[in-house]
Amino acid sequence: MVERIRRTVRVWAALARAGLRTELQYRANFAFGILGGLALQGAGLAVIGTILARFQQIGGWSLPELMLLYGMRLTSHGLWTLPCSNLMVIDTAVREAEFDRYLTRPVAPFVQLVTRRLPVTTISDLLGGLAILGVALATTHLHWTLPRVLLLGLALVGGALVELSGQTAIAGLAFRMLSTGSLKFTLDDVFNTFGNYPTKIFGPAARWALTVVLPLAFASYVPATVLLGRTGELWIPVWLAWAAPAVGVALFVAAYRFWRSQLNRYASSGH
Amino acid sequence: MPIIRADSLVKEFRRPKRVPGRFGAVRTLLTRQYTVTRAVDGVGFDIDAGELVGYLGPNGAGKSTTIKMLTGILVPTSGAVEVSGVVPWRDRERNARHIGVVFGQRSGLWWDLPLIDSLHLAATLYDVRPADLRAHLARFTDLLGLDEFLTTPVRQLSLGQRMRGDLAAAMLHRPDVLYLDEPTIGLDVVARDRIRAFVADLNRAAGTTVVLTTHDLDDVEALCRRIILIDHGRVLYDGDVATLKARHAPHRELVVHLAEPGPVEIADAEPVAATDGRVTLRFDPARVSSADLIGRVLARHRVTDLSIVEPDLERVVAGIYADRTA
Repeated sequence: MVERIRRTVRVWAALARAGLRTELQYRANFAFGILGGLALQGAGLAVIGTILARFQQIGGWSLPELMLLYGMRLTSHGLWTLPCSNLMVIDTAVREAEFDRYLTRPVAPFVQLVTRRLPVTTISDLLGGLAILGVALATTHLHWTLPRVLLLGLALVGGALVELSGQTAIAGLAFRMLSTGSLKFTLDDVFNTFGNYPTKIFGPAARWALTVVLPLAFASYVPATVLLGRTGELWIPVWLAWAAPAVGVALFVAAYRFWRSQLNRYASSGH
Repeated sequence: MPIIRADSLVKEFRRPKRVPGRFGAVRTLLTRQYTVTRAVDGVGFDIDAGELVGYLGPNGAGKSTTIKMLTGILVPTSGAVEVSGVVPWRDRERNARHIGVVFGQRSGLWWDLPLIDSLHLAATLYDVRPADLRAHLARFTDLLGLDEFLTTPVRQLSLGQRMRGDLAAAMLHRPDVLYLDEPTIGLDVVARDRIRAFVADLNRAAGTTVVLTTHDLDDVEALCRRIILIDHGRVLYDGDVATLKARHAPHRELVVHLAEPGPVEIADAEPVAATDGRVTLRFDPARVSSADLIGRVLARHRVTDLSIVEPDLERVVAGIYADRTA
């Protein structure tokens, strides 16, 4: 088992380096991608700034608190898009029968798919997220204990896994549907729209939908309430709030299993 | 003990039935009716270790679909397949370790990187030890003439160069079985010969089992001892090339150039063409030997030149397909 994991890491690293070299072949695209990414982050933050300028608070959350949530969300987003955003191009890989070769090599097809290119431009998400998070941590004056530090770190990864699970499950449908563009961009939109605000402001129905149906509340909002001492506003038990990172892991394990089971539906192309 | 066993393999492709007429696209989206295409319809064969088998058929006969089931890419609708004791689709990673796959139409190389990077990556994926990698790389570079384009990005390689690169990458881990799907399609004569020589050498020297699908019957004549012929997803013929010719094209032709043009009438031989003193006689070697026939011709005519024409595989195969569709 340990040997298997070490091998996967080694192969992943080799493939990712190749993906990076591929990406760097197109230098102009690379540069514009990073600039564009940073501009997009700035625009997102500006929207929140505009709302705050008018209302001072959103759902009782002050600017530094909102920045903490926003920073956590964006960092998580960057943590999954940097290594795995090629999951989004699965339609092409399936329709053009690129999967033929993924299935005839002794490496998990998931690893081969996500490393076909390394979209370095998504690093702007990660850098932007970390910067905002840094400012938020400096201005919220929280009382830090070891469990809370651990929770923050794990929650960033857990948040990445929550979003990655959704995209992985949709990618699994690609073997049957061949075209999943609208689904995955809708999911991306939902995360980018609802993920940046405290989930409680959306009213009871949406609140439950975002906890149970599409559990994006667990990505950043729930752990942020723990860090900010706001668990009082939650509609789930506090222990579950602490376990938010585990929710991400569980979701990803389930999504990955589903994805693997769908490989057998792959029909390649031609006869 | 066969290394590849395929038993009653069937593969059906299902897709929603197209609904014509008003709102056809929307109704197609919602339909529960499916069109089923049976691409492979009960194919079975055993291949022993060390064989070099040509898998032939016209377009759409089910060749590639069979190969995709043997390699684990597709799951059979029914039937059984086993390669080196592994069910390919059920245990893909284990299967992948002892097979090599080259698709002529699609490269397995990293498109934007120099060829040498792809070879190193392949070595990493298959856990080839550095010493082995060096040895194999040196050998393949030599056999396939890779050195002039090792550092060229794959997307800038010619088709022939790319195919040679693909073959090297597929063989670095010394697989027991090599599947080649249309390896010479679109290649010039030089590249084709090089690839044939390489495949023949692998089979002879390393005992690699090779399954080759192709349209190019010259490939088959040059390489294969055994051929499996399929059409409409079924096996039409499975055996050696000579037997196929004997069964489906029993006749040979004797072409004689006469010093004085004129009619030729010889027992057991049928004139099938005559132009300017060049007469083609068809005969059945089971009834008259070529030596006897030549003796009879020489006894009656002054001949400037003569030759015996073997039936070529292309015509044999074309004849079989024509018979079947008739």
